[in-house]
Amino acid sequence: MGPASRAGLEDRLRDIQAITDAALSRLDDRELLAELLERTRAILQADTAAVLLLDFASGELIATAAAGLEEEVRQGVRIPVGRGFAGRIAAGHKPVILDRVDHTTVRNPILLAKGIRALIGVPLIAGGKVIGVLHVGSQTPREFNGADVELLQLAADRAATAVHSLMTQDDRIAAQALQRSLLPFALPAADGAEMAVRYVPGEGAVGGDWYDAFTLPSGQLGIVIGDVTGSGLQAAVIMGRMRSTLRAYALETSDPAEVLSKLDRKMQHFEPGAVATVAYAVFDPGMDRARICSAGHYPPVIASPSQPAGLADIPPGLLIGAAPGAARQVATVHISPGTLMCFYTDGLIERRGRPIDHSLALLCQAVTAQDPDAACASVMAAMVGGAPAQDDIAVLMFRRQPSRR
Amino acid sequence: MSVEGYELRRIGQHGVVIVPAEVDATNSGEVRRALLAAASQDLPILIIDMSGTTFCDSTGVQAIVAAYRQAAANGTGLRLVATAALPILTVIGVDQLIPIYPDLEAALAARP
Repeated sequence: MGPASRAGLEDRLRDIQAITDAALSRLDDRELLAELLERTRAILQADTAAVLLLDFASGELIATAAAGLEEEVRQGVRIPVGRGFAGRIAAGHKPVILDRVDHTTVRNPILLAKGIRALIGVPLIAGGKVIGVLHVGSQTPREFNGADVELLQLAADRAATAVHSLMTQDDRIAAQALQRSLLPFALPAADGAEMAVRYVPGEGAVGGDWYDAFTLPSGQLGIVIGDVTGSGLQAAVIMGRMRSTLRAYALETSDPAEVLSKLDRKMQHFEPGAVATVAYAVFDPGMDRARICSAGHYPPVIASPSQPAGLADIPPGLLIGAAPGAARQVATVHISPGTLMCFYTDGLIERRGRPIDHSLALLCQAVTAQDPDAACASVMAAMVGGAPAQDDIAVLMFRRQPSRR
Repeated sequence: MSVEGYELRRIGQHGVVIVPAEVDATNSGEVRRALLAAASQDLPILIIDMSGTTFCDSTGVQAIVAAYRQAAANGTGLRLVATAALPILTVIGVDQLIPIYPDLEAALAARP
């Protein structure tokens, strides 16, 4: 390649870079794609440019943005991976050049109707996975060459990074919004009970941790702490369903084991594959007694004014979603005035390189029978400190009001 | 199909997969894939060997639960070997689902 064409290529690269960066700052993936397609079409002196993004649920490529080929998007063109021109690019993870466009080489009738004579397409790859296809077409016969492929792949890589980060960001924002909307805005007032919470989303994707506290018509108080496997929007959605299901069953029966058994059965039927740990405690109206059932969740820590903290003696139960018909047992805990109970999710105690029993011992040291908000502060300081949380952390402190002197 | 670094060893009728020393969100995906692959082999018995596992978080336990479901669907009996990882397996109730043995010899010798 001569110096002149190299300089020309560098100009083109700069163009592409400028477009993607400028569009990125606006954080709108549709605008970004539209601009990128216009520019790619111009640079390659082509007539059409289109991006199809892979829908992981259906395994189809869906036309998402186009320049000179807007019909494709408006008509919602879908191409199965492995079929047709775009489908072959996605399946093979590599560029395809077509200098003969007819019904034997393309699947999408719009390309034929549009009089496209030559096509070139490359995969959009992010995180090692194909997330879509970018293709460019010419209505006059021509032979796309290796330099065209390189340019197009460059545009595709920039687009893939942007689309992927925006998709991830969208997912994250949606999950966070959903999770915020599902956690109680204010803890309920229940005579004799004091509560405080902390909720810290993990540095990675938002997960499915949740806590809940509600009063029942009987005057009982229900406290729930749970953790849905997985992360992102999917886990947050399942968490939302579990939360409302548990509340519904809580109105039907005050037996926490029965509530969790019904919840388990419902999840296994309607959300097969979902796995979660949950602990559910029902406090008597006087707050002097709680009945607790755990489905694979860590037991709460209990600290009374006269005794050091320890793990509540609760029979471990199988986590939700593991196997049908798990037997569930209830533990009854007597609560003297001023006694504190700390409910938490695994993000509080699980640290790589530190055995779980060591973490639980540390937690017991950090929990003392004090004001619930102060107890939250001490526990977070002791267990988290300044380290960023990888996993979500949810903590709910309950204290039975100390007797007045 | 197998996952790199996770060899499925055969001892007689039994298959054995060894779980790494530490399992958390950074590697539980590959552990899950390896266990699922092993649980899909139509073995009479699959032993998940966690005797060298000193740390396993809840994502690791969930990988085991996924393997349990796959094995149950395939008619494969699942056994676990665990020592340091025993507390978390007990808390989450895995011991109610899968028999846990203190060492590989005991897991191999157990009657179905």
